[in-house]
Amino acid sequence: MGQEGRRLFLMTCIGGVAVVTAGAVAYPVISYLAPRKGKDNSASVSIPEKDLPPDGAKFFQYHGKAAVIVRKKDGSVTALSAVCTHLGCIVQWEAQKGQFICPCHGGQFSTDGKVLGGPPPKPLELLKVTVANGVITIG
Amino acid sequence: MTLISKLYDWVESRLGISEVIQKEMTGYLLPRTINKWYSLGSVLLFAFALQVISGILLLIYYVPDADKAFKSVSVIMNEIPFGWLIRLCHAVGSNLMVATLFLHMFSVLFMGSYKKPRELQWVSGFTLLNLVMGISLTGYLLPWSQLSFWATTVATNSVGAVPVIGEYLVEFVRGGKLVGPPTLGRFFAVHVAILPVVIAGLIGAHLFFLKRTGISAPPTRNNQAATTWQGGAYHYDKHEGGIPFFPNFFLHDMTSISIYFACLLGVVFFSPYLFFTPDSFVPANAFQTPAHIKPEWYFLANYQILKIFPSEIIGLTVQGAGMTFIALLPFVDRGDKRYPLQRPLFMVCAVGGIALFIALSIWGHLS
Repeated sequence: MGQEGRRLFLMTCIGGVAVVTAGAVAYPVISYLAPRKGKDNSASVSIPEKDLPPDGAKFFQYHGKAAVIVRKKDGSVTALSAVCTHLGCIVQWEAQKGQFICPCHGGQFSTDGKVLGGPPPKPLELLKVTVANGVITIG
Repeated sequence: MTLISKLYDWVESRLGISEVIQKEMTGYLLPRTINKWYSLGSVLLFAFALQVISGILLLIYYVPDADKAFKSVSVIMNEIPFGWLIRLCHAVGSNLMVATLFLHMFSVLFMGSYKKPRELQWVSGFTLLNLVMGISLTGYLLPWSQLSFWATTVATNSVGAVPVIGEYLVEFVRGGKLVGPPTLGRFFAVHVAILPVVIAGLIGAHLFFLKRTGISAPPTRNNQAATTWQGGAYHYDKHEGGIPFFPNFFLHDMTSISIYFACLLGVVFFSPYLFFTPDSFVPANAFQTPAHIKPEWYFLANYQILKIFPSEIIGLTVQGAGMTFIALLPFVDRGDKRYPLQRPLFMVCAVGGIALFIALSIWGHLS
């Protein structure tokens, strides 16, 4: 093996060791920095029906995101994601108007999550909800 | 022409990188007799960088609140992936860094490298040693364990021996009459914001002094390797015919850094709780002092001195006088001889001083 060959061999070895070392350092650091998973994303959320005001909405955490339950005029309950589909702000309940307003850019949503006005491109995500024995279960 | 060489040419034509490399790396000549002890400075740079990086990573999950600090450290150790590795590297690294600083200081002592014209390197280096011990002390409180809490209580209490203003000083350092949440806030700020910046600045100054005076050659019996500097005008210690820093001494540096890193990982993997006592795993309780609370190993000598002397102020004065003597050593020991065996008085004092330090530390540990 000539001098050039030895040099190439050594450089390849050093490069290999450097790559392995970088990997050995990067793996724990990236694992350390990676977002932590929620305790149980499949779990449903139960809320006593009495906690939901007759003309109001109740906000809560669902699978790590903001969600809301609201009682419609016909008395039925809807559960929605409270994250505006425009730029991700959290919508606010306007009891007088009976609709959701996004404080960031004025997006308006009905109690079914449909877009009534403003820039949101699509409706709020509907969540599965059941009411039984005075308990509202979401998910 | 490859893309990389094109990019290199583009940068080269603007910044003249090859000239910098030639001047600072391949053309930076070191004495042919240079030994591995000279690489301890690079090891310390690496150790400091590792402390900064692991410290920044710990800041992501650590909560500097007396009610949450211990819990957040437990979460880092038990729940965050590789949190134990980051935290242990930081905790063990601080101990090894202090140990390496001592070794660096001893090598400079025995090779007489502190002598003129390198007085400023010595003073800045000795100040750095004290600052690193200070950053270790302030970091010790942050886990908010029984050990942290009571070791800090004892350490801050000794400030009270200062005449007249001692009581006020203790209260000022603690942010209250006793160690408590305000102390954690203060120590946290000093540990993560003030001392790292001061240490980094002083490291810069230390390296600047080194670059301006030139590195000292190791002394031998027949060749004192004394500087040709006679005082007066500025002089740079050249080493004509010496070895280039890169790649020759760079490889020595890398070897020493690898040994340091291996020692660090060896402790982290095989004896992770070497520097922890059972009290480190119990949350701080302001109403229950554990038995036999002790400071870190590098403060054991100071701790024992305070116990030996009947008056705390005498103990502090003795320590202050000793520290001042070491800090001003280049101005006291002004002889030209650097080879240790040709400096009997120095050897007796240095070896005796180190032996005394070790004996006091062991006594402090066992007492």
